[in-house]
Amino acid sequence: MSGMNGFPAPTRPENGTLAGFGLGLRTPHYQDFIKAPQRVDWLEIISENYLVDGGKPLYYLDRIRRDYPMVMHGVSLSIGCADPLDLAYLGQIRTLAERIEPAWISDHICWTGTASLNMHDLLPMPYTRQALDHMVARVGQVQDFLGRPLVLENASTYVTFRSDELTEWDFIGELVKRSGCELLLDVNNVYVSSVNHGFAPHAFIDAIPAATVRQIHLAGHEDNGDHIIDTHDHPIVDPVWDLYAYTLQRIGWVPTMIERDDHIPPLAELVAELDQARRIAAEVCTPAREVACA
Amino acid sequence: MNELAAIQQRFQRHLMSSADEVCDDIRGRMEIYVNAYWGRLREALADNYPVLCRALGDDAFRELAAAYLRAHPSNHRSIRWFGNNLVDFITRNPDVVPHPALLDLARMDWAMRGAFDAADAAPLRFGDLAAVAPEQWADLRFRPVPSFRLLQLDWGIEGLWHTLNENEDAQTDEPQTHAHTMIVWRYGLECRWRTVSDTEASALRTMVDGGCFADICAALLDAGDQDAATSAANLLRAWVDKGLLARE
Repeated sequence: MSGMNGFPAPTRPENGTLAGFGLGLRTPHYQDFIKAPQRVDWLEIISENYLVDGGKPLYYLDRIRRDYPMVMHGVSLSIGCADPLDLAYLGQIRTLAERIEPAWISDHICWTGTASLNMHDLLPMPYTRQALDHMVARVGQVQDFLGRPLVLENASTYVTFRSDELTEWDFIGELVKRSGCELLLDVNNVYVSSVNHGFAPHAFIDAIPAATVRQIHLAGHEDNGDHIIDTHDHPIVDPVWDLYAYTLQRIGWVPTMIERDDHIPPLAELVAELDQARRIAAEVCTPAREVACA
Repeated sequence: MNELAAIQQRFQRHLMSSADEVCDDIRGRMEIYVNAYWGRLREALADNYPVLCRALGDDAFRELAAAYLRAHPSNHRSIRWFGNNLVDFITRNPDVVPHPALLDLARMDWAMRGAFDAADAAPLRFGDLAAVAPEQWADLRFRPVPSFRLLQLDWGIEGLWHTLNENEDAQTDEPQTHAHTMIVWRYGLECRWRTVSDTEASALRTMVDGGCFADICAALLDAGDQDAATSAANLLRAWVDKGLLARE
């Protein structure tokens, strides 16, 4: 069975309403998507970029949405913050979701600022029982508000907390089990954090609840030798491709996309990079292995 | 306060103080978060004030951004709104910029940024006015499109703004003092600006404040226009032509 472009069709059709391989929608590529069909199956938008009243952002969003399925990816939910949830923001997210009907809505396992301020960064959580209890309750509130499961992504981190009681993967596993949320597994972030904190990335992949992974992110980073910064401004490196292959062997095929946020190249370069993900998925999830991969 | 809240407050104070207040809850490379915070917000401010950033140059803009961020940390979910108090900040602290005309550049940048993604609205067309009976004209009111902004400027900065917007390396002349009014709006998807005369500015303010056509005529008469009704009709035609007015 062949899918788009001669690559094997993705297995696991039960995995939501998305199929294939996607990219993050970025402004420099708007015209490419409008002028010609691209070898991209779906697009992920940064939700906050479209929380505006009108003009070009919403015009192009609507225009491109006509041709591509989309998912919404937020950066300001601050699900791990000790402060009350920002219901006005959640209302805006819900309104945007009504407009573009995303396959799902995601954000990050992090907090972004306290005392009504926003640091505009994905700040690390202390992996404590108290933080876990808090986050489980908050995910429940958000899911009730949005009327759908929330999809949460593991963030890259550069510090750990002295008060940590759990590993990141145990924290995530408990969060998923208790809250009913699903996972956006960022394979690059697993690799970045594994180098920064000295753990085996495969241990992370082995531990996460496979059936709850809705989506995979791939991205490049800045390698500083003894530590890595998750910059999304480089092509994906071989160790991350290897970890992606390992991930697919373990959890089966999952809709996968590449994020690029800086030094954004021509769309064709990203599509070519996406082909690498397609090749790996085709190799790992061959028909003979479909059972293992499904 | 629970421990999670306390940790997050200490972590945030560390970021916002550039490590003057150290968060000792953590192990690792906190400086990555500190650098990201100051760098990301500076970039966002530069995105929102592109011509001001070019006029100042990187070093001076970096200083301005740091001073502004210390005074006005972001309280918005979307970074698109970071810098919403910059004009007010410069007004109250004029020494943060090396030339007073830079305040007007900031005003124009922010107005253009606001027009860019303001709400859409169907523009008023000539045909919409055709059905208005002559006796109804005096009471007719108009509404500007949501992207419309009216700026009171103290310096003639339009040439400087236009030149630097086109070419960040362009050589520019020092602006001259010139109290005047500028309007900014979006026509379709394109942001536009135009310098307006004091007379037209008076008519526009009357229209924006909810004045009817007769009030606009009165404003023009007050401004010394002896043929106010004809002038008001001409202005109205120009406003419709340029897409300044919204269809009700």
